[in-house]
Amino acid sequence: MASLIFQIVVDSLLLGGVYTLMAVGLSLAFGVTRIINFAHGDIVMYGAYAAFFAFVSLNIDPLLSLLFVAILGAIGGYLLFKLTLDRILDAPGINQVLLTFGLGLVLQNVAVILWTGDERSTTPSYAFDSWFLSDDIVVAKGRLIAFGLAVAFVVLLLAWLRWSELGRATRAVSQNRAAASLMGINVRAMYALSFGLSSSFGTATGAIMSFLLPITPFMGFPILVKAFAIIILGGLDSIVGTVIGAFLLATAETTIAYVVPQGIGWAEGVAFFLLVIVLIVRPTGILGTVGRDA
Amino acid sequence: MNLSRTSVMVALSVFAAVISPAPSRAEDTIKIGAPLSLSGKFVSYGAAAKRGVEMAVDIYGGKVGNKKIEILFRDTQSDPQVAVNSFTQLLSEEKVNFLIGPIATPMAMAGLPAWRRTRALWVVPGATTPLLEEEAGKEPMLFHTFPYGYYYHLALARSLREKLGPGKTVAIIYSDDAYGREHLPYAQKYFTQEGFKIVAEELVRAGATDLNPVLAKIRRVKPDLLLGLVQTTDGIQLTKQVYVQRLNIPYLVGTAYPQLKQWQDASGEAQEGWVGVTTYIPGLKAKADPKYPKLFMDSDVWKAEFTKRYNREPEFIDVGAYVSTCMLLIAIENAGAVDDKEKVAEELKKLDVHTMIGRGHFEPSLGGTLNQAFADVVVHQRVKGADAILYPKEFETADKFEQATYAK
Repeated sequence: MASLIFQIVVDSLLLGGVYTLMAVGLSLAFGVTRIINFAHGDIVMYGAYAAFFAFVSLNIDPLLSLLFVAILGAIGGYLLFKLTLDRILDAPGINQVLLTFGLGLVLQNVAVILWTGDERSTTPSYAFDSWFLSDDIVVAKGRLIAFGLAVAFVVLLLAWLRWSELGRATRAVSQNRAAASLMGINVRAMYALSFGLSSSFGTATGAIMSFLLPITPFMGFPILVKAFAIIILGGLDSIVGTVIGAFLLATAETTIAYVVPQGIGWAEGVAFFLLVIVLIVRPTGILGTVGRDA
Repeated sequence: MNLSRTSVMVALSVFAAVISPAPSRAEDTIKIGAPLSLSGKFVSYGAAAKRGVEMAVDIYGGKVGNKKIEILFRDTQSDPQVAVNSFTQLLSEEKVNFLIGPIATPMAMAGLPAWRRTRALWVVPGATTPLLEEEAGKEPMLFHTFPYGYYYHLALARSLREKLGPGKTVAIIYSDDAYGREHLPYAQKYFTQEGFKIVAEELVRAGATDLNPVLAKIRRVKPDLLLGLVQTTDGIQLTKQVYVQRLNIPYLVGTAYPQLKQWQDASGEAQEGWVGVTTYIPGLKAKADPKYPKLFMDSDVWKAEFTKRYNREPEFIDVGAYVSTCMLLIAIENAGAVDDKEKVAEELKKLDVHTMIGRGHFEPSLGGTLNQAFADVVVHQRVKGADAILYPKEFETADKFEQATYAK
């Protein structure tokens, strides 16, 4: 029994790390711009493809290419914002939803045209390695690395938001757009910056997913759905809430999968039931503020 | 010289009429509808089928008798609703009498109601889950040219029993989609029939990120075999996670995915030892058909021809679509190159050819489909990055199953 509980804890933590990676970029973009980026999963997918081609063509390990992929993601996200979303910031919310949803479809179809629907994956040695803590308790090295990177990303992001000039400006825009503008902050520049950063997290996440999940042009949508559920659970505009939401969802899914017979088939349903309960009890999510004043 | 605008327009119209090719008359052409997933999640199936169909028409010479063959490809976009539209457009507007495709079962099932309105001659070189058989197997105009899933389990259970001996235990992992649920009863039936004891049956969600909870449960029952009834994407995830978990199960068995290059590339070192089933695999030595050697060549010659055209090795759907199209074209020709589905169906039933994937002859399937060709299934195993063929006997390149690397 003790080993089962320990294995549940280990698996929940590792899955929570993966879920944090999936959701943190989406949360950042929404927190600042108040736009839900429905193309976020597809940005993750492009990061995975970039890491894959760096791995097979240039023999660069995904953990090394991650940095370049993140920079490319930041540039791509910034440009995407300037060319599209910047033009409809003052339009009704449904236009923004439709735009990002459409962008996601375009990105997905371009990927199919360029790379076909074949499944791919990077195969660095650590993706096949594991540690045995006992006869029953196994820690997959690839997931542990993902967990470590998720922690590092979140810490870096929170530090940037708290202590850097641009980070504070970003938080100011997030908290009160009008006041930030009156204080001389270029709101649209902050939007573009946060969208670029969000995309950077997205593509970096893709590089990590490249050795954890099969890469296909369609991998983005399930990631988006999961990320969306997590940020609603944690609170749409809260990074810490997102982390809590990710680990809560991972723990619920893992526990159900271990404890209930055929539980892995129930896990997602139960996890989303949990989401519904949280939203009824606390509509802003665990740490969110969006909607509180409404 | 003054030219009025009208005279210029008239002159241009006459010029355009002269240089444009004469439209082919309907009676000079035989149209074959091909609803395939050319985009969306089943694009790899659709793209392979398109290659096979195009190569068959090309090698056939583009004509049957004196009539041009026109293949009307329609993209189902891997979406059942679009598949309905594709079938309706081909059958009601184009009024085709012959259909080939789709490959994925959900697309075939979506097209079924539209097909029932005209009952064109329908060649299906895919749809392995027996849903189509249950719904339309008794239809005389349905010609299924790919083994149903139960043939996989029959061949797997038989070959594993022959080579591993009696009294082995099996754990089954199946996905919660139509594929896993449809395959499960047949796996249970044939593995039990061959004397295996099923010690675990675990459901996994299609697209699941984490399979550890299921694998941990299976580790406890210590089976001799693990059978994974999932599709390719989940097959990659299963293969990698089984390896990472070092489950210590000696024999790892999949369905169709171990033959796919994308599974092999994505699974890396974890693919070693996995057993799979297929209808065609490079290395299979099949002789040319004596009557139609230019269509049904030696398998090596055909493979070289395919590789030259497409710069890649053929996979099972490429070959399946190719031989199915060739058989349809032969039947049309034998019927007198007429656009008449009844006459062509009669000719198709008479055909008996030797192809790169076995005997091409229609007879009732085990599950009751009236016209089933190609029930021969090859069992192979990934050994040192290549394929060893273990069943049937005449194609064997190895005489025993290897244990998974970490279990040795």
